[in-house]
Amino acid sequence: MKCIGKSVLIFLCIFSLFSLTIYSPSTAMAAKAIPGSMAEKVPKVNAAFDVNKMGNMSDFDPSNPIIPTGDTIKIAVVWPFSGPGALNGEIAWIGFAWVAHDINKRGGIWVDGKKKLIEMIKADSMSKPDQAKKICERMVLQEKVNILVGTSGSNIQKIINETGATHKVLTVNIGSLADELNDATNFSRYNFMSSDSTEQIGRAMAYFYGQIRKKEKKFYILCQDYSFGHGLAEGFKTGLKEYYPEAQIVGEDYHKLFLTDFAPYLTKIKASGAEVIYTGDWTPDAGNLLKQSRQTGIMTPFANIFMDEPIMLHEVGVEGTKGLMHIDHYNMPNMFKNPGYVKYYSIWHKLWETKWKTAPFNSTLFAHGTGTIGSWTQQIYWMLSVVERAKSTDPEKVIKVWEGDTYKFVNGRIIKMRACDHKAIQDFEIAEYVTPEQQKVYFSIPPYHWFTGASGPGPAWLVPAAKALPWIDQKLERCADKNGWGE
Amino acid sequence: MKNKIINWFLWVGLIVIVAIIPKVFGAYYVSLIVTFAVFAVLSVSLNVLLGFTGLLSFGHAMFFGAGGYGTALALKHIAGLSLLSSVGIGVLSASVLALVLCPLVVRVSGTAFAMLHLAFAQLMYVLALKLRGITGGEDGIGNFPIPPFTIPGVVSFNMKGVPENFYYFAMIVLGLSVWLMWFFTKTPFGQIQVGIRDNAKRIDYLGFKVSHTKAVVYVVSAAFAGVAGSVYAIFHNLVSADGSLGVLVSFQPIINTMIGGVGSFFGPIWGTAIFQILEEIIVRFTDRVELVIGVTLILVIMFAPQGLAGWITTLKQRFFSASSHKLEKIS
Repeated sequence: MKCIGKSVLIFLCIFSLFSLTIYSPSTAMAAKAIPGSMAEKVPKVNAAFDVNKMGNMSDFDPSNPIIPTGDTIKIAVVWPFSGPGALNGEIAWIGFAWVAHDINKRGGIWVDGKKKLIEMIKADSMSKPDQAKKICERMVLQEKVNILVGTSGSNIQKIINETGATHKVLTVNIGSLADELNDATNFSRYNFMSSDSTEQIGRAMAYFYGQIRKKEKKFYILCQDYSFGHGLAEGFKTGLKEYYPEAQIVGEDYHKLFLTDFAPYLTKIKASGAEVIYTGDWTPDAGNLLKQSRQTGIMTPFANIFMDEPIMLHEVGVEGTKGLMHIDHYNMPNMFKNPGYVKYYSIWHKLWETKWKTAPFNSTLFAHGTGTIGSWTQQIYWMLSVVERAKSTDPEKVIKVWEGDTYKFVNGRIIKMRACDHKAIQDFEIAEYVTPEQQKVYFSIPPYHWFTGASGPGPAWLVPAAKALPWIDQKLERCADKNGWGE
Repeated sequence: MKNKIINWFLWVGLIVIVAIIPKVFGAYYVSLIVTFAVFAVLSVSLNVLLGFTGLLSFGHAMFFGAGGYGTALALKHIAGLSLLSSVGIGVLSASVLALVLCPLVVRVSGTAFAMLHLAFAQLMYVLALKLRGITGGEDGIGNFPIPPFTIPGVVSFNMKGVPENFYYFAMIVLGLSVWLMWFFTKTPFGQIQVGIRDNAKRIDYLGFKVSHTKAVVYVVSAAFAGVAGSVYAIFHNLVSADGSLGVLVSFQPIINTMIGGVGSFFGPIWGTAIFQILEEIIVRFTDRVELVIGVTLILVIMFAPQGLAGWITTLKQRFFSASSHKLEKIS
């Protein structure tokens, strides 16, 4: 009897250990647990970023990148490198330079019968449509680039896409979110929108407030007055109807790009009694809006997508940035519990601390390589992974591989290219900004906080992809009768 | 007689060069030349006001933009519209705008004229941004249909996706515009224009109606700026507030005219060419194009205030007077 009891005890112990091993809360498992998430929908990806295959990055300096010439894979980085939006160009450039350095250190990519290095070329759009058109044509006709990649500003991305379609050159959109870029009117087979899109963001945010947070009810929409801003607002309104019908829009405004005086809008916001300001503003508008709101005594939290630029957050300080609700297209809850990601993060952060001594790359903006920097960097890795798997720079071969492709970012985020309209499907993370002492819940490795001079992501929630699938235009013949997953 | 023959040869030579450019150079340079031609016409149209009538406008972009938006909206909303009609609508839009403004603006001159235009141009710019439903706001109007150039029953050339065809169309339209403006300045009416520039009171005493004359010149200048804007919109298949109505679009032809020579008809064309070439070279070395162009402008104003055309004339006079002085000595 005693023997049987002992055996049962041993069996129970082994079973418990086995169960713990199977159901240990790793990042992937945590994502899997959520119905409708990418982890559930895409159990096996076509390709994944492998940190262990990275090249030696110890000599990487974004201020002095090593740019190969000759028979290379040429990629035009179409961004504003001058004018008010220039900082966005630098954010993009570090990502491109990083990926090119890594791939080139690995020996390049085997395409068209030989191993080729990656050559990135800066193409300054100056955030102006006519300049963008000119520079894109120069890149295609003079520099003979293989791929045009853009950009901050959907109005500029539209020009990039049109240039690509005219000259049958592959264009990749990693930074512009307007849904109309890939609608029935503007869709081009040669363009892939690997970025997230406006309706996704809007609906994900509405889902969060209506189904997860269930607290604030009065929202004020303040976005930039162009396709991106309007699309983002529409997405949010659609999402509120769907997920939070009792919510109220107490005001709605659109302002000019690169505005310097937000006072008229802030006065209206103050009078509206809004509990949350929903904005899609990006740099420099995001920073100016936050700073001016706090200076005028408006402490209302912003539900935002690009209000995560650390230099600006530091200017506002810990108190002013507390309570911001940030939706992220890169970060994932528990990503610092993923050893692969921690290794990748450490390489980046150590280089920032020790090697990048020139402005702007020595600033806090580039300290962590997360958020938009991380998203853009990983999207470039995905793009080159597709080229590598297509074994060619021929757009037709690349299109074939990329349509319906799935890829896992270094931090575990899974992304899928919807085949019919070339839009990316992914989960979203929404994080509440908390004081440095409270950030350990997210930043679970030493020093257990993002920065000391500003609030940063703390508690974070995952909005599953199924709740915020990218808008699909049924008028686009390729998408007729397809569901949100493109199936 | 000899001069006439040389002139004919020069014109035929120029036409041959323009005709063979797409065959010799690639699509990229064809695009550059179209851009050059558009801004050359815009600059010449400004010079009709500035150089020939003495009216400096800081808001010429509003006519350029009106032409562009007129054409783009027409092509977007009117099905089956022909290419030339769309350009015609652009020209009409710019002319109507000028007609509306001219009763007010022809009564002023100098700084008031310049600043009033700056204000009107900014108003148009803001309207283009705010009336999103019509103008597309910050996005502008793009991807509108571009009809083929058709002479019914004779010929039809596709304009979209065939840069060569559009090049020929643009060069004909813009070349014709320059010729018409040149012809305009050579008419007796054009002489009155110059008279107003030099001494408006005297022209008034002579019995000409100064304000009416100014109004006609104003509308003509606006119409040709509209031609440029219209062709530019079709060329880019896009019209945007910043690209067509922005303050820099107003200043560009002024700078071109200053560099090329204010008093000369062809000066603005030289100025535009110099800028295009400069920009094309500079951009290969640095992205600080505006800085170099700014320095160039300062140098021109300091050392050649009459622009390139004036500088060449001075050189000619010096050379001529030196050789004549020599001849005098020899004799």
